[in-house]
Amino acid sequence: MKRTHLALAILGIIALLLFPLGVGNPYYIHLLETIMIYAIVLFGLDIVVGYTGQVSLGHAGLFGIGAYTAGVMVMKLGTPLLVTLIASVGVTALFGAILALPALRVSGPYLAMVTLAFGTIIQILINEMTFLTEGPMGIKLTKPSLLGLKLDEREFFWLVAVLMVLALIVVHRVLRSHLGRAFEALRGSPVASDCMGVSVYRYKVYAFVISAGFAGLAGALYAFSEQYISPNSYNFELTVLFLLAVIMGGRKSRIGALVGATIIVLLPKLLDDIEMFRYVSVALAVGVATVTVLGIRKGRVTPKQMAIPLVGSIALAGLSFWLQTMTDWRLSIFGVIMLFVVYYLQDGIVGFVRSALNLARPKPEEQLASVSLRGGDALSSSATSGSSEILTADGVLMQFGGLKALNDVSLRIRRGTIHGLIGPNGSGKSTMMNVLTGIYVPTAGTIAFEGRSVVGRTSSDIALSGIARTFQNVQLFGEMTALQNVQVGLHHSFASNLFDVAVHTPRYRRESKAATERALGLLQFVGLADLAFEEARNLPYGKQRLLEIARALALDPQLLLLDEPAAGLTAPDIKELISFIRKIREHGVTVILIEHHMDVVMSMCDTVSVLDFGQKIAEGRPAHVQADEKVIEAYLGGQAA
Amino acid sequence: MLTINNLFAGYGKVQVLHGISIEVPKGQVVTLIGSNGAGKTTTMRAVSGMIVPSAGDIVLNGKRIEGLESFHIAKLGLAHSPEGRRVFATMTVTDNLVLGAFPRLTGSRPKGDVAADLERALELFPRLKERREQLAGTLSGGEQQMLAMARAIMLNPEVVLLDEPSMGLAPILVNEVFRIIERLKNEGVTMLLVEQFAAAALAVADYGYVLENGRISVHGPADKLRDDPAVKAAYLGGGGH
Repeated sequence: MKRTHLALAILGIIALLLFPLGVGNPYYIHLLETIMIYAIVLFGLDIVVGYTGQVSLGHAGLFGIGAYTAGVMVMKLGTPLLVTLIASVGVTALFGAILALPALRVSGPYLAMVTLAFGTIIQILINEMTFLTEGPMGIKLTKPSLLGLKLDEREFFWLVAVLMVLALIVVHRVLRSHLGRAFEALRGSPVASDCMGVSVYRYKVYAFVISAGFAGLAGALYAFSEQYISPNSYNFELTVLFLLAVIMGGRKSRIGALVGATIIVLLPKLLDDIEMFRYVSVALAVGVATVTVLGIRKGRVTPKQMAIPLVGSIALAGLSFWLQTMTDWRLSIFGVIMLFVVYYLQDGIVGFVRSALNLARPKPEEQLASVSLRGGDALSSSATSGSSEILTADGVLMQFGGLKALNDVSLRIRRGTIHGLIGPNGSGKSTMMNVLTGIYVPTAGTIAFEGRSVVGRTSSDIALSGIARTFQNVQLFGEMTALQNVQVGLHHSFASNLFDVAVHTPRYRRESKAATERALGLLQFVGLADLAFEEARNLPYGKQRLLEIARALALDPQLLLLDEPAAGLTAPDIKELISFIRKIREHGVTVILIEHHMDVVMSMCDTVSVLDFGQKIAEGRPAHVQADEKVIEAYLGGQAA
Repeated sequence: MLTINNLFAGYGKVQVLHGISIEVPKGQVVTLIGSNGAGKTTTMRAVSGMIVPSAGDIVLNGKRIEGLESFHIAKLGLAHSPEGRRVFATMTVTDNLVLGAFPRLTGSRPKGDVAADLERALELFPRLKERREQLAGTLSGGEQQMLAMARAIMLNPEVVLLDEPSMGLAPILVNEVFRIIERLKNEGVTMLLVEQFAAAALAVADYGYVLENGRISVHGPADKLRDDPAVKAAYLGGGGH
């Protein structure tokens, strides 16, 4: 963290803690308290929505579970505060795991529907289970005691503030760690995540559980803050508000969550009063005008882009002075503001301000400057012992409906060789890759890698056992930087758990530093070191392919599958590619290479297998295959490269 | 027909093109060669409106088109066969082709005889004719590439942009793709071609531009470029097919 940022953060926290001393009015103290409680929910919700890219409409339900766990425990058992909070987090996290189950099967609008049903069921259960929850009557609570001291309104505010800051730090650290990168990778490309040894299944559940834990904490605090809970509080409207807050504030940002929480708590209150509304709309218009002027001056936005937001905010300010009363207009104005923000500020308020003022997103690893690159290349040497065949596939059949994409294919890959796999488009080469990496389960046949069967194991399990791959259609994590993409490949090198990450134990620090160094070394190996902080989606196509190779190497594979690495590369780039595929082999890594550029295949491969219509039609040394009549007819077309 | 003048473009903070100028005369094939990341695809995307250039102008048939939306540029007669094919996977081959003629059907381009052009496109690509009722997503990579090219032709365009038409294709299909480009050229179709096989591209083109780090370093008639020792060393060595 930069020194100015740290200073600002400390100032902010001090201001927050002094607030109840300066402002005596309990109404305002309670308002700020609510904002902080909502912010805790949003920190968690952002993990699911912003990072893993899942829509959850079940978070009001989770919030309710947290509140009711606290309410029931205090009412029935009279548990002390700390026990109550821990129990609320635990119980809600458990429900988070349940909510995650549908997310493993469906996504997009379907997931939204299922999570919505979850929220509704929770609300109904709370309502009906009167023996536990008192039903529609609700539960009355008093402010809790901490270490024998009965907290008053102001002291409880401080408790919430401290917990909010702690939650902020923990979430921030989790999202900056290998866990956060795993969550983000799910969003970028689930298939690639699995093939990098990051189990989509496990990390989706993990994200929902952590997210739910924060909702549980917030729910329990909310129960004590309101001192009364009833089933109606945790309804559909609240869940939509939570989602809106994440989107409006700006996803993938903790400041965004704070801004979002402030808006959803304050905006309805501000719109209650015409005087207040006038102040707010004028402030908004001035704010938009300032950003416009600054943005245009810095050349970040064009006047045309800014015209409608500017006119809109000024019109809103005008309207506020024209209106006599608010009551009839409140909801429509609220709606218009929402629409306006969601439509124009797709990256949220934080994203918009950041891009208009040209503030770069903070670099993921500030300590990078101090990281020294170790000499040589970052490839680890693969063990060369063991039997001479690293992979044997026998009689592999892959049937899709009536189509036999692979028909009785057998492959024997010798350790330490480069094995070419060629054939016409649609002949089954990529299908073979998918079978070897567990994306497809073959209809029949056996595949053994290092003497162990691969069939039926998950992709992430196979990846961790030493098979890495690249993809024909590049599957990078687009919103993540080149460095982060490689770091996802290094996920296996972390033994740190959630606790290590939250308190930054020496183990985590050591692993994190080592992974960053390795990742930079691998980027240097493929010649992308100077693009380490560029988002993967902004790299040109050929460089994306190189980045995929670096990411695959991060797995420390025994066997590397390259699916058309030279596609889209020009002659000089291809030469470079050949030289470093050779270097990869020198480190003892066995390579299976799918490629259409015959000069690449012929100059590097020790053995070449040719597929056509799902069957192996030829196999042998490159020169031998190149002269084969069947290969020329099906594939080379008379004119060899 | 298509004139690019002092074009600057990029993505976000990354500036890729630093003022390039290209002229594509009517009825000619012009090729753009260069190493990876030089800005070939970025040029194509800026011309067809998929990204907004930061400066410079692009003139199609006498009309300024820079900064217009893609669909608008298509209506003015520019067809783009994009890198990586992008066919409509869940629609049939015929439907894909008819969609290529969409601006003609809605009246924003001269209609002509769409049905006849459909048959003509299928004649040009016999493999597609055999599969005209098949879903595009079930075609092999080579067939999808042909479909993307045929779909572009269906616009009856003034200019066609072909971005890496041979990418990911088996050698036997690479030859066929170049034969088809040759045939289109003989029919008088104006084309701007980006290709990894620079030698083959220069063999079919009339004129070539070499793009280096977002700037044009050399340009000239295709046969001259092919004999240029610097171009040979940098782009033609070993990569020919």
